[in-house]
Amino acid sequence: MARKPKVKAPAQKQSAQKRPSGGMVVLAFGIAIGAAVALIATALLLRDGDGPAPPSTTPAVDLSGIAQDGVFLGSADTTVTLIEYADLQCPFCRAYSEDVFPTVVDEYIRPGRVRNEFRGLAFLGEDSVKALRYVQAAGLQDRLWEMQEALFRNQGAENSGWVTDDLVRSLAEEIGGLDVDRMFADAESAEVTELIDRAAAQAQAAEVRGTPSFFIQIGDDEPYAIELTSLDPSALRPALDDALSG
Amino acid sequence: MSDRALRLAAGLVALAGVGVAGYLTWAHFADTSVLCVAGGGCETVQESEYAEIAGIPVAVLGLGAYVTILVLVLWDSVGARLAAASLAFVGLLFSMYLLVLQLFVIEAVCIWCMANDVVVAPALAVLTGLRLRSP
Repeated sequence: MARKPKVKAPAQKQSAQKRPSGGMVVLAFGIAIGAAVALIATALLLRDGDGPAPPSTTPAVDLSGIAQDGVFLGSADTTVTLIEYADLQCPFCRAYSEDVFPTVVDEYIRPGRVRNEFRGLAFLGEDSVKALRYVQAAGLQDRLWEMQEALFRNQGAENSGWVTDDLVRSLAEEIGGLDVDRMFADAESAEVTELIDRAAAQAQAAEVRGTPSFFIQIGDDEPYAIELTSLDPSALRPALDDALSG
Repeated sequence: MSDRALRLAAGLVALAGVGVAGYLTWAHFADTSVLCVAGGGCETVQESEYAEIAGIPVAVLGLGAYVTILVLVLWDSVGARLAAASLAFVGLLFSMYLLVLQLFVIEAVCIWCMANDVVVAPALAVLTGLRLRSP
């Protein structure tokens, strides 16, 4: 029994040495609060940019002279079709449109090797719906691809009301061969609603998880998914070359 | 709860923090997804303007903090205990800020970020704080 204090005393002394004084704790936590406030203030002051990239007045790609038929871009004679699911408010879709799509057009669509099909989705909100209706309406005049390219190029912050009639009209007026008043009227039509519903149903059936999503269809075969893992201009080259060689 | 148990728990939680922040750091740099998904998610949160401070990803700051706390818990001197608790407290406050950003500003929830902000950071702050008074 007499041994207990002898054993415990050094241990208690050691534990007591690991306890900081009350003053030290208050000082340390005061510094911690100051550090946290400084960190948060720095984070707020130095945050990168604000919203999407600024609009561009120059089209990212030249589509002149390429056949269009509704949602299709390119020759109907080829057996390879690249299907794109996109939401006009999706920043990655915009990046694809500006960084990858021009290469796809120049190397595959313009030479008539691949046909492109646009399946527009509108899951990001009201501005997606509005933009998609105009794009599909332009498609009724075979000018869908110019309209979607122009809207991507002028994409605003998500659901900020950026798809204004004025913006759409100014972009549409730059597209040769597009009857702007007819496009505005068609945007509210049942035909456009049907096109949007069809693409949504196709996306659901294909289990599309997000946008942009791509599929390749060879002839009448079932389309198969291809993955876009980067926004490098050559990102789709391997998949398209593989489809063309197969 | 004995100090040994508190120390073990703090070490394990700090290790979990290293794991979560390590995954988020990897996800930030891997850039494997170029997909917009409904309802947002880790991609939205990590692509947001709040994901970096002066060019340093927030996930990297978190990883550095958890590694430091883990070392301090293992070191276990008076100063190390105090430093661990203070750093964990800074982490707790910053996690609360990140939580508010996700819920009310970015309006997208990243499950790994939430795990950090709601579970790991508070638990570590409590455990390291308790060790300042444990016998």
